[in-house]
Amino acid sequence: MDALAHAAERVAATNSRREKIAHVASYLQSLNDADLARAVLYLSGRPFPSTDPRKLSVGYATMRAALAAATGWDAETLALCYREVGDSGETISHLCRPITNAEPLSLQQAETHFETLRKTRLTQVKVDLLTSIFQTHAAPALKFFVKTITGNLRIGLQEKMVEEAIAQATSQPADAVRAANNRGGNLSVVALSARANTLESIVATLFHPLDFMLAQPIDETKELADPENWVAEDKYDGIRSQLHVANGKVKLFTRGLEETTDAFPEIILAFTNLPGPLILDGEILATSFQLLQQRLARKKVSAKMMAEIPVHFVAYDILMHQGELVFDRPLEHRRQLLDNLGLVRTSQQTPLQTHAQIEALFNEARARGNEGLMLKRRGSLYESGKRAANWLKVKKPLGTLDVVVTAAEQGHGRRAGVLSDVTFAIRDGDKYLNIGKAYTGLTDAEIKELTKVLRALTIEKFAGGRVQIVRPEVVLEVAFDGLQKSPRHKSGYALRFPRIVRWRRDKRPEDIDTLARVHQISLGAVLPEKSVITENPEENPAK
Amino acid sequence: MRVEFKPEGIHLPAIDLWLDPRVPVPAAWLSHAHSDHARGLHEAAISTAITGRLYRHRWPLPAHRTQQLLTLNPGQSMEWRGATLTARQAAHILGAAQLEIEYEGERLIYTGDIKRRTPICGWETQPIPCDHLIIESTFGLPIYQFLEAAEAQTRIANFARECLAVGQTPIFQGYGLGRGQEIAHTLALHEIPCQVHHSIAALIPYFEAEGYTFPTESANGAILVTPGQEEKVPIPPAKRKTALVSGWAALDNARARSNADVLIPYSDHADFSELLTLIAESNPSQIDIVHGYAAPLAHILRQRGYNAREARL
Ligand SMILES: [Zn+2]
Repeated sequence: MDALAHAAERVAATNSRREKIAHVASYLQSLNDADLARAVLYLSGRPFPSTDPRKLSVGYATMRAALAAATGWDAETLALCYREVGDSGETISHLCRPITNAEPLSLQQAETHFETLRKTRLTQVKVDLLTSIFQTHAAPALKFFVKTITGNLRIGLQEKMVEEAIAQATSQPADAVRAANNRGGNLSVVALSARANTLESIVATLFHPLDFMLAQPIDETKELADPENWVAEDKYDGIRSQLHVANGKVKLFTRGLEETTDAFPEIILAFTNLPGPLILDGEILATSFQLLQQRLARKKVSAKMMAEIPVHFVAYDILMHQGELVFDRPLEHRRQLLDNLGLVRTSQQTPLQTHAQIEALFNEARARGNEGLMLKRRGSLYESGKRAANWLKVKKPLGTLDVVVTAAEQGHGRRAGVLSDVTFAIRDGDKYLNIGKAYTGLTDAEIKELTKVLRALTIEKFAGGRVQIVRPEVVLEVAFDGLQKSPRHKSGYALRFPRIVRWRRDKRPEDIDTLARVHQISLGAVLPEKSVITENPEENPAK
Repeated sequence: MRVEFKPEGIHLPAIDLWLDPRVPVPAAWLSHAHSDHARGLHEAAISTAITGRLYRHRWPLPAHRTQQLLTLNPGQSMEWRGATLTARQAAHILGAAQLEIEYEGERLIYTGDIKRRTPICGWETQPIPCDHLIIESTFGLPIYQFLEAAEAQTRIANFARECLAVGQTPIFQGYGLGRGQEIAHTLALHEIPCQVHHSIAALIPYFEAEGYTFPTESANGAILVTPGQEEKVPIPPAKRKTALVSGWAALDNARARSNADVLIPYSDHADFSELLTLIAESNPSQIDIVHGYAAPLAHILRQRGYNAREARL
């Protein structure tokens, strides 16, 4: 773990993807097989392979208790230290540095510790083990030992980059490593196979989620040069899901590769008798997305809830048929396999001829309550894990709103030092009513500047200073894909998928959008196209 | 001795002396020349000779004004309205000093900004036992742990060399007075050429007068700028790397705050363990803590049996 920590710090100390991968590759090359198998997991923030369903279950409370026991610091000081650092592993390494025996921590020892923590049921026993680990091992290793437990190294290294580093370290093509990991899901096995030149022997693992193929957004369907080479399907407003079936066992996974099997027992039941092994790609739907979210929020579902919010699964692609991956078969072939299953619900595919047809199909899809259209290229393959140009989504955003920032929150990880999460409001008379919260859309430089501005506008601090209520002065333009009723917000609405489009320095809080306009949008009023900014607002501050 | 903590600064009413006041006053002690400590035109200002010169550079005297500048170098004492004032060395920036005030049998120490480790430029801290200690706590939490000067210098030089070896330009962020010159001096010791931002370069003569050497200018060397200026350096991202040499560099989130790639946790302030050392060495019966993590540090010190409180300015 000491050498891994050293390599990880070098990865953190560069912004260049190429350099990060090179640092990891040279570290991996230095390891024997057993350590290679461990290191690739820990570097991707996993104590165990993702095919391993067992969980570590070491929470923040357990780690805090161990840290307090190891260092003697009181809860108040620990909470403040954590707030300033923003990461458990880093906080623990700083606070343990003066008290630990600074002994090395081998990857084998780390693995044993992870195993013991997993097997232990009693929280107090976990706390005692962690306490002794914190008192024994060198601070840099502790930092990454704990980061592996919390699941995020925060060094700007995604699993994809670890795959590329494996490829580089073993002189294998990156695509082959990626594909093998997608099939097998066990990065340790992939690394060892890459080294042994046996990647091809890795077979698909059922009940381990495969990467989804994603669609590229397209606003202007007129840009599509060859409509006759495409088919159209409705784009559903549900939860994109992968359904695995074998021997009467069924599991569901989301696009985030999370398992959601327990939330949807009626879907599990409906697919139990299907002949497997089989993997379907599709969408879980309820009468509205809002209701669907209520279902997803429950780990276990009551019979009452199943009756009140019925759900179903619409299949639109097939990834495994009779135990064989069918990624590499053309769209039409996969469709045939899917149709042969005789499912009750599959997406309707319409071959396209003209642009006018697209427009009509889009409007029909919207009239059916769906989000828009999916266009799929004829003869295309299933490109697992790619946002490929062979799938297009046509979904026209609902619009944008000008809003004012009312509160801001410290970010996490890379953004721990800045106010990156902002809550914003619309106007009703002279009152500002919150309508949503956004994390994305601005560049790092803009966030840094925004932080400075918002700090100067702070009225009140909460949560130990993490959350700051600010004077409503900063105006942002946010785009969103939908509106929902929300008792949580004072406006009574919440925006779906809000993202910051730009900082409107040219606008004052009096100029922002009103509750009346939001009512109108919710009633389906067609949004007027927003005027395009022709001048640089910064050059025209008087506006 | 009664001490008043006011928005204008720290005031000792019995001898009408202000410690590092933020506004012009009749009589001020200037612990060092950083602009949050030595600012404004006081009628009388007491400081070490070096601090006096740096202060004059940053606060020139207008033609029609007069000002009494009193020099009190480390080890020297003076009588002041019934008290004895003695300057004591402080490791912080060039010329920094603590003020020892003896009055009616009681000894008070005002540290100003201070650290306990040896600085790259400047003198060591002289620890003084006292009854009443006024100390800063810019980094008064146990998460802050800094490097020794020698280790920081090695990292500064290694970072520069590693960048130059692969054809990248090493950029350092350092403050205008203190860290900037320390980095430049370190590069000179390792014979690494460097272009220095004018706000840092302007004060180099004062350091040269104390015997410190500085690097030659070269377009093929390192670049030293004040924080925030690195974005203006006209070198594409792939051809440069930035190091932050600062106490804040002790935490990884300094990367997001400063756009630095490499973090070198070296400061002219005390880290947490240095603060504890300083306090143990002076063993005061009363501690007032100013700046930074004053409340949490007071809380920690009280748990260790000290009579400590946060002093709000
Ligand atoms: Zn200072």
